[in-house]
Amino acid sequence: MKISFNINGEAQSVDVDGQIPLLWVIRDVLNLKGTKFGCGKAACGACTIHIDGEAVRSCSYAAKFAEGKEITTIEGLSSGDNLHPVQQAWIEEIVPQCGYCQPGFMMATAALLEKIPNPTDQDIDDNIANVCRCATYYRMRKAIHKAAQLKGRA
Amino acid sequence: MLTTQTNTESLKTVMKNRDSHSHVSGKSIYVDDIPVRIGTLYAAVFSSPHAHGKLQELNLSEAKQMPGVVRIFTHHDILGENQIGGIIPDEPLFAEHEVHYQGQPIALVIADTEANAREALHKIKVDIAPLPIIVDPREAQAKGELIIPPRSFRLGDTAAAFEQCTYIFEGTAETAGQEHLYIEGQGAYAYPMENGSIRIASSTQGPTALQRTAAQVLGIPMHQIEVDVTRLGGGFGGKEDQATTWGVMAALAVQHLQRPVKLILHRMDDMKMTGKRNPYTSDYKIGLDENHRILAYEATYYQNAGAAADLSPAIMERTLFHANNSYFIPNVTATAYSCRTNIPPNTAFRGFGGPQAMFVIEAAIDHAAKALQIDTNIIQRKNLLTENSEFPYGQHAKDCEAKACWDTATEQYDLKKLQQEVADFNAQNELLKKGLALMPICFGISFTKTSMNQARALVHVYHDGSVGVSTGAVEMGQGVNTKMAQVAAHAFGISIERIKIETTNTTRVANTSPSAASATADLNGKALLNACQQIKDRFLELAARRLKVAVDDVLLKNECVYIKEEKTDFTWKKLVMDAFLERLNLSAKGHYATPVIHFDKAKEKGHPFAYHVYGTAIITATLDCVRGTYTFDSVKVVHDFGASMNRMIDLGQTEGGIVQGIGWMTMEELLYNKDGRLLSNALSTYKIPDIYSVPDEVSVQFLRTDNRHDLAIFHSKAVGEPPLMYGIGAYFAVRNAILAFNPQANVPFSAPITPEKVLMGLYGSK
Repeated sequence: MKISFNINGEAQSVDVDGQIPLLWVIRDVLNLKGTKFGCGKAACGACTIHIDGEAVRSCSYAAKFAEGKEITTIEGLSSGDNLHPVQQAWIEEIVPQCGYCQPGFMMATAALLEKIPNPTDQDIDDNIANVCRCATYYRMRKAIHKAAQLKGRA
Repeated sequence: MLTTQTNTESLKTVMKNRDSHSHVSGKSIYVDDIPVRIGTLYAAVFSSPHAHGKLQELNLSEAKQMPGVVRIFTHHDILGENQIGGIIPDEPLFAEHEVHYQGQPIALVIADTEANAREALHKIKVDIAPLPIIVDPREAQAKGELIIPPRSFRLGDTAAAFEQCTYIFEGTAETAGQEHLYIEGQGAYAYPMENGSIRIASSTQGPTALQRTAAQVLGIPMHQIEVDVTRLGGGFGGKEDQATTWGVMAALAVQHLQRPVKLILHRMDDMKMTGKRNPYTSDYKIGLDENHRILAYEATYYQNAGAAADLSPAIMERTLFHANNSYFIPNVTATAYSCRTNIPPNTAFRGFGGPQAMFVIEAAIDHAAKALQIDTNIIQRKNLLTENSEFPYGQHAKDCEAKACWDTATEQYDLKKLQQEVADFNAQNELLKKGLALMPICFGISFTKTSMNQARALVHVYHDGSVGVSTGAVEMGQGVNTKMAQVAAHAFGISIERIKIETTNTTRVANTSPSAASATADLNGKALLNACQQIKDRFLELAARRLKVAVDDVLLKNECVYIKEEKTDFTWKKLVMDAFLERLNLSAKGHYATPVIHFDKAKEKGHPFAYHVYGTAIITATLDCVRGTYTFDSVKVVHDFGASMNRMIDLGQTEGGIVQGIGWMTMEELLYNKDGRLLSNALSTYKIPDIYSVPDEVSVQFLRTDNRHDLAIFHSKAVGEPPLMYGIGAYFAVRNAILAFNPQANVPFSAPITPEKVLMGLYGSK
C-alpha cells in the first residue's frame, strides 16, 4: 500500500506492505540507518523514533499507521550541523561506548525533555526504559540533566 | 607507598571517545548499515527443533518452491571441511547425521529478501529420531560426557592440611549462564571479489578466526578470504568465537552463487542459536585454623560446556587459574570438568570462567564466616594475597595490590560507618533490610594460551603529515581505537587529530588474536608503539642530520622537532615531507609478543600472566522483605588501574562491568527446560539492567601506587573484564539482607538471586 508521511521535515511516499514494522521502511526503503534493530519486541528501545513528537518503538509499529504522521529519526534530531542539546550533552558527558543503542536513547530523551523540561531522577527512571548492554547509564543520567540545562538556555 | 600518579603531558588530557560524534548523530556504521550492493541476497538459518537426535530426513522441496528462494544450502554443499571447532574439531557448520542442541544449524535458505528467506524456513520439514537429552553438567560428568579430560591445579598438600584445620566446611555453589545480549545481534555481509576471493564484513571479535574457518570450510587458502571489521555494537565475548558461524555461512553462499549475501540473525534466533556464559555447579571444601587463616581449599567445578567445545576448555582453564581469587591459600586442589550437554555450545563472556571460580571461593568463605558467627570480611581480609604469595599455578604475586586496594577502600569509604548505618537501619526497620558485602578481586592478564599473546600493527605516515593506523584490535565499545590513537599521537608527539584508526582487516594485519582477555590494548598498543618507533627513529636521524646535532638530543613533541628542551621551526609537516623527498620509508609494521609468560600444561605450573589486576568493592543492598525485591544503594570501589592512560574510558569500562556483573548475579535468569529448550528466549523474558535498576551510586577511586607495570601499555592496566567480578558482591549483599530479616533462612549459594529465590529465603527455614 502507499503510505505518505513527513520524515525529518521532508514529505515521503512509500509503497510497502502496511503490516511491516516502520523500522524496516526507515532503514531499508528510506536508507536511514541510524535507527537500529535490537530485539523486535519493543523491549530494548534501540529503534526509538518520534511520531508526532512521541517516542515510539518502530520495530513494533506497523507502517500503515504512519500515514499522515510527522516522523523524526536520529538523522533529523540535529538541525544541519547544529547538534540537538541532547546530542551535545551526550558528547560532553562521553556517554557512548559501543554506540549501537545510543540513537534510541537520545530520541527517548529528546521526547522526554519536550514533556518535562527539567526531569528529576525519578522522571528519568520512569520514562527512559531503553537498555544499554555497555551500561552507560551513569553518564546518561548526567547527560540528560545537562541536556535539560542546554535546552533551557537555548 | 601512596603517591600521585604521574602521566606524560599528552596523556593527561581527558580523551573523548573518537566515535562520539558519529555515534550521537547516528552515522556510525555497523554491519547491517553497510550500503547494500546491487544483487544482494539474504540468508536465514534453519535450525534443529530438538536438542538431541538422529537426523532421519530433511525435506527441502516445498521450501525451494517458495517465492524468492534462490537456493538452500546444507552440509552437502561444503567443498572443504564441515567443521568450525576452534580448539577441538567437534562442531559441524551444518548438522549431518545428528543434532546436539535446539538451534543447531541444519540448512541455510537464500532468497531475494530477508522476509522471503524467513518465510521459506517454515516449509522445511525435518524428521529427527530423539536421543536422550542431558542439560545438567553433573549428569553429563557421571555419564562420562566430557569435552576434554579433567584438569587439576595443586598447591601444597590439601589432604594433610585438612588434618591440621580447626574448622572445615563443605558445600555447593552454582552460577547460571548469562546471555550476552549485545544490542547489535550477530551478522555478516559477504561478497565476491575477483578470482574466487571473498570479502566478509563481520561483527566479530576474532577476524582471523573467521578467516581461517571460512577458508577451511570453503576449501580455499586463507589469502582468498578477507575479513573486515569496522566496529561492533557490543561483543562481551559473545562474538569472539561465535561470530564465525554466520560469516562462514555467508561466505559459503557467496562461493556458490557469486552474489553478495547478507546474514543478520533475528534476536530470537541469536538467543536460541548462540551459546552464553557457561553455567557452573561446584563443590567446595574449606579448612581454617583457629585464627581464621585458610589452610586448605578444595574445589570441583562442573562446567556446562553445552554441545561442543567452542572455547569451553580455555574457559575451564581460566576457572582453575582463579580458584583462589584474591586470597593466598597454601594448600589448594582445584579440579574442573568440562561437561558436554545438549544446550548450545557455551562460550566466552567477560571474565571467561574467572567469575565462576570466584563465586565459589566467596561462597566457601561466607559459609565459614556465617558458621563461625563472624563478619565474612574478617576472613577475607586476613587471607588476602601479599607480595610474593604463590598462586596454585606456580606464579608469584608481584607488585601485589590486594591489601592496598582493600585497606584504601575500607578507610576511604569508612567501612565501620557503613556497617553501623546498615545495623542502625536494620534495627529501625522491620520490613526493609540492608545488607553489605565486600568483594576483592584479582584477575590475571594475558591469554592463558601463551601463543595467543602476540600482535601486529601497520602504520603509514602520509606525506601531508596525517597518519593511518591498522592493528588487530576490534573496537566494540571498549574504546580501544581511542587508546590506539593516543599511542600513535604520543609516539610521534603530534595531535591526535592527525591519527586515523583504520578498520580491522586481515589483509592489513594478519594472524591476529581475537580482541579478548582484556589484553587488546596492551598487545596491539605495544605492537603499534614498535611500528611508530621505527618510523620515528628514521625521522630523528634525519632531523639530527639537518640540524647538525646529536640524534640523542632531538625529540618530537608538540608537532615540532625539539633540540633538548628547545623548540625549533622544524615542524612535523616539514619533517614528514623532507623524509619523503629523501625517499625514507614512511611506513612500518610493528610486532609484539608478551615476554616473560609461559605455562607447562603437563605440570600445570608456570607464569601465565603478564600481571594481575586488583581491586575491592563495598556493595550495599536494600531489600523489600514483603516483595522480595531489592535495590543497590551503592557500589564503592578502589581499583588498580596502574597509571590509567584514559580515565574516562577506564571508568566507563568499570561502571559497565560492575552493572553487567550485578545483572548476572541478580536479575538475569537464563533458563533451559529439561528438553533443552531455552525459555528465556527474548528480551521480553530475559531481563538485563536498565537505568532504573542499576545501583544508585557507583564510586570508583583509582588506587594510588608507585608500582609500574611495564607490560601494560603506558603502565595503564587492562580494564575490560576485572570490574565485572565486583558484581559478585551484589549476591552476598542481598544474601546478608535476607539473613538480617530471617537469621534462620536457608539461602543456597545459587546465583542469580532473583526475587523469587529471595522470597523463598525470607520465609523458608533451615
